[in-house]
Amino acid sequence: MTIKVRLHPVLQKLAGGREVIEVNGHTTSECLEKVEGRFPDIRRLIRDKRGQLRRHCRILVNCESANAHGLATAVKDGDQIDIVVLITGG
Amino acid sequence: MKDKDRHVLTEAELARYERQILYRDLGREGQMRLKQSHVVVAGLGGLGCSASLHLASTGVGHITLVDSDRVELSNLNRQVLHYEEDIGEKKPFSAARKLAKLNSSIEVTPVFEKITEDNAEEIIKAADLVIDGMDNLETRFVLNKACVALGTPLIHGGVHGLLGQVTTIIPGKTPCLACMLPEVPPRRGLFPVFSVTPGVIAMLQVAEAIKVLAGFGSLLTGKMLYFNGETMDFTCRNVIRNPNCRVCGTKEIQK
Repeated sequence: MTIKVRLHPVLQKLAGGREVIEVNGHTTSECLEKVEGRFPDIRRLIRDKRGQLRRHCRILVNCESANAHGLATAVKDGDQIDIVVLITGG
Repeated sequence: MKDKDRHVLTEAELARYERQILYRDLGREGQMRLKQSHVVVAGLGGLGCSASLHLASTGVGHITLVDSDRVELSNLNRQVLHYEEDIGEKKPFSAARKLAKLNSSIEVTPVFEKITEDNAEEIIKAADLVIDGMDNLETRFVLNKACVALGTPLIHGGVHGLLGQVTTIIPGKTPCLACMLPEVPPRRGLFPVFSVTPGVIAMLQVAEAIKVLAGFGSLLTGKMLYFNGETMDFTCRNVIRNPNCRVCGTKEIQK
């Protein structure tokens, strides 16, 4: 079961310039942890000290928000997870 | 602007804009289109100040400035149209005064109002284009919805620290903000920002605005351009339209 995790451009440097990382997992949370395990700098940027997703990060599964479900959204082969960093100031 | 001057470029205008009129794709015709254009700058913070300054110097004929805040000392590191003497002043009026001194041949309308669901369409209905200079996502989404409803191009910009992003939204043709982010996240507190980031992003917004209004060049349509000032990277990523988008999903796609 291959899930594509697409990194926001500001995260790509932390993953050696990769835009998409393929992982195996059954939930959004599981997939994210695999990405964060391979690239700990990404974890530091998207999680706070308690391990909670920071407020300026949103997780989309196939373009739909997954934040509301506590990242427990089930994923299946071919799904795409997007890690989005919000740039909202003016 | 006198009525008789509305359809011609005066001697003074030809002199003032000489160097950009030399640019073949703009020329006198494009300059005339800019003169006849009306742009709403939504938000007079870091993005809105820099953007409106350059819209005015470029000769956009009518600029409406909208903000509901007053100038504070902590604004002055990046909001280049507000000075120490303006602290406490309504931002649209502070900015309008500077623009009038820079270019007295254009019309500047200050609007001291918060953009809401109730007034957004009324505020932008006469505009040919809207510049997004908002400092939060909630109001950006209100603006996005109004622009989609009226079919008004929206040049989106956002900044955080040394990061910035910009895209051009043409309703019915490109993804809108809600396509890119299906929910409105909770409002955040103060965000870090340097002067240079809104400076860079606002200039890109104005470049897009000039091309949309004058009708030349390629646009950041269907693309988000990201700027990382820490690493000096510019990255462009395609953004796709969400057919189920809650804002533009029912609009017919134009070829």
